[in-house]
Amino acid sequence: MAAAALSGCVVRLIGVKASETLSAAILNQSDPELVGSGMPAYLLILDGLISQHPENPGLLSAGAQLFALYGSRFATAEHAVTLTDKARRYGQKSLCLVHEPACRWGTADYDGLVADLKNVDIKSIGPLYSYAVGWLSNLQATSSDWTAVAELPWVQAVLERTLELDESYQHGAVHGYLGILDSLRPPALGGQPDVAKQHFERAIELSQGRDLSIKVEYARRYARLVFDQELHDRLLNEVLSASVESPGYTLFNVLAKQEAAILLATSKEYF
Amino acid sequence: MLGRRAGHFCRRLLGFALVALLSGTAAAADLKIASVAPDGSHWIAEMRAGADEVKMRTAGRVTMKFYPGGVMGNDAQVLRKIRVGQLQGGAFSSGGLVERYAGMNVYGIPLLFRSQEEVDAVRAKIDPVMAAGLDKAGFVSFGFTEGGFANPLSNEPVHSVDEMRRKKVWVPEGDQISFLAMETMGLSPVALPVTDVLTGLQTGLIEITFASPVTALVLQWHTKVKYITALPVSYSMGVFAIEKSAFSALLPDDQKIVREVMARHLGQLDRESREDNRKAMEVLAKAGLQTVNVNATDVEGWRRTIEGLYPKLRQRSDIDVPLLDQLLAVLADYRRAHPDQAR
Repeated sequence: MAAAALSGCVVRLIGVKASETLSAAILNQSDPELVGSGMPAYLLILDGLISQHPENPGLLSAGAQLFALYGSRFATAEHAVTLTDKARRYGQKSLCLVHEPACRWGTADYDGLVADLKNVDIKSIGPLYSYAVGWLSNLQATSSDWTAVAELPWVQAVLERTLELDESYQHGAVHGYLGILDSLRPPALGGQPDVAKQHFERAIELSQGRDLSIKVEYARRYARLVFDQELHDRLLNEVLSASVESPGYTLFNVLAKQEAAILLATSKEYF
Repeated sequence: MLGRRAGHFCRRLLGFALVALLSGTAAAADLKIASVAPDGSHWIAEMRAGADEVKMRTAGRVTMKFYPGGVMGNDAQVLRKIRVGQLQGGAFSSGGLVERYAGMNVYGIPLLFRSQEEVDAVRAKIDPVMAAGLDKAGFVSFGFTEGGFANPLSNEPVHSVDEMRRKKVWVPEGDQISFLAMETMGLSPVALPVTDVLTGLQTGLIEITFASPVTALVLQWHTKVKYITALPVSYSMGVFAIEKSAFSALLPDDQKIVREVMARHLGQLDRESREDNRKAMEVLAKAGLQTVNVNATDVEGWRRTIEGLYPKLRQRSDIDVPLLDQLLAVLADYRRAHPDQAR
């Protein structure tokens, strides 16, 4: 029995390591086309590992993040709905395994969710982050549905708890997500561009400027919202002149450069 | 990772407000138009599509530049900028144009309408009159877009006026008609800017607010209330208007094109708005809001309390009394023809 249990632990460990290696291989790629065409095979492998080890939070978290990545960046709009739904489910199950009340979290009791988030501790930050990212990717994919608008405050609450636990987690990525959420709406509709600006600045600081996608979102969301062309163009020019090579960011940086060029080309027209 | 589709979160943000305009003195014009709708929202996307079509069909003589997200300020600030020629038009809430044309207040009179059918019957007759009034006041409009009915939202069920009298009720800052209506009903309204309502609900400064389902979702008030009362308290709409002298400076054929194209796109937004509110209502229910149904006796109670409002409205300079009378006559005709709905 003991041997069998130990064996199970090893397999789980291997599974997590394998998923980490796969994630790193993808994130360090500089060829988005290769990732787009090759990533489905990785996802299938990950699905296989998860089906063998359905109680492994690490694997589920990796699944949530990779399905979210593929669904939001490489899939067709229609396919993204299915893929990101899986990302969301994997993220939820991962968190549910380390924080049992999360198994019952729904979207009918906002105050209850906010109260219980206080009970999620730092040990669960990985699943908590994956839960938020998986959910967010699914909201993007279903953004034409009012349900996505309705659920935004819930995801925001999850991200804010993640930030409370460790703002530097994933090199400040949570600040980047909150920057986007706080600049979705103008002040007249309850948005908080000033808060968004602080989040973007902090995300850049925590990632030491290596994550170029933060600057692109800062320009696209905040600078356009407040009509600050100078900031907009400066951020995008910084992205275009930066090196894309950076461990863990290369893929995002290549994509960020592509988007920066498009945004800059429409700057005069927009402003 | 959020990527470009993250902006589409905004696509649906907004069922109300907004619009456009122009400048220049020659036949060619770049119309600068302000809106509170965020870039990427459905409203802005539809208006940009209209602007693209106008540009193409006028061979580039008429272009429109949009200033979304309220970057040009609120309705009053946009009007000031139009006056000095910095902007040529904008998307306004109907109340936002009242200082220029008092007719814009009549649709929003509390408890005026009893159903969507009544709205349709009235708008078919009164919208053109209102557009003519706006034109006389110096604004060219191309059709109005529905914002929908605001319903009471609360943390305890609200069936009757009596139940509301015991609560702190929100009224939009500057909305004098609603304030007057609430006083007439014996309520004690708390005037706050719309942006302070969420915090007001959180702190208990207010206990009852009003919003259409779409507005409740966009402003995230659904996270702070538990009940929505099935009573259409007031109707709102948005107006897209261009300052008349700027519009008149366009070639006559270009004017026709702008009218035809923008009316078509605004008509599309107007039609979609109702469906948006219907879907948003379903989502509110899924998010845990319970619907409070009001029985016939309670409805009668609501109506009785508002009866004293009309004599007061007729004395106000911000109400176009002849237009109100015309509207009430249309409503009376409709109710006579549809006695089964006149409850």
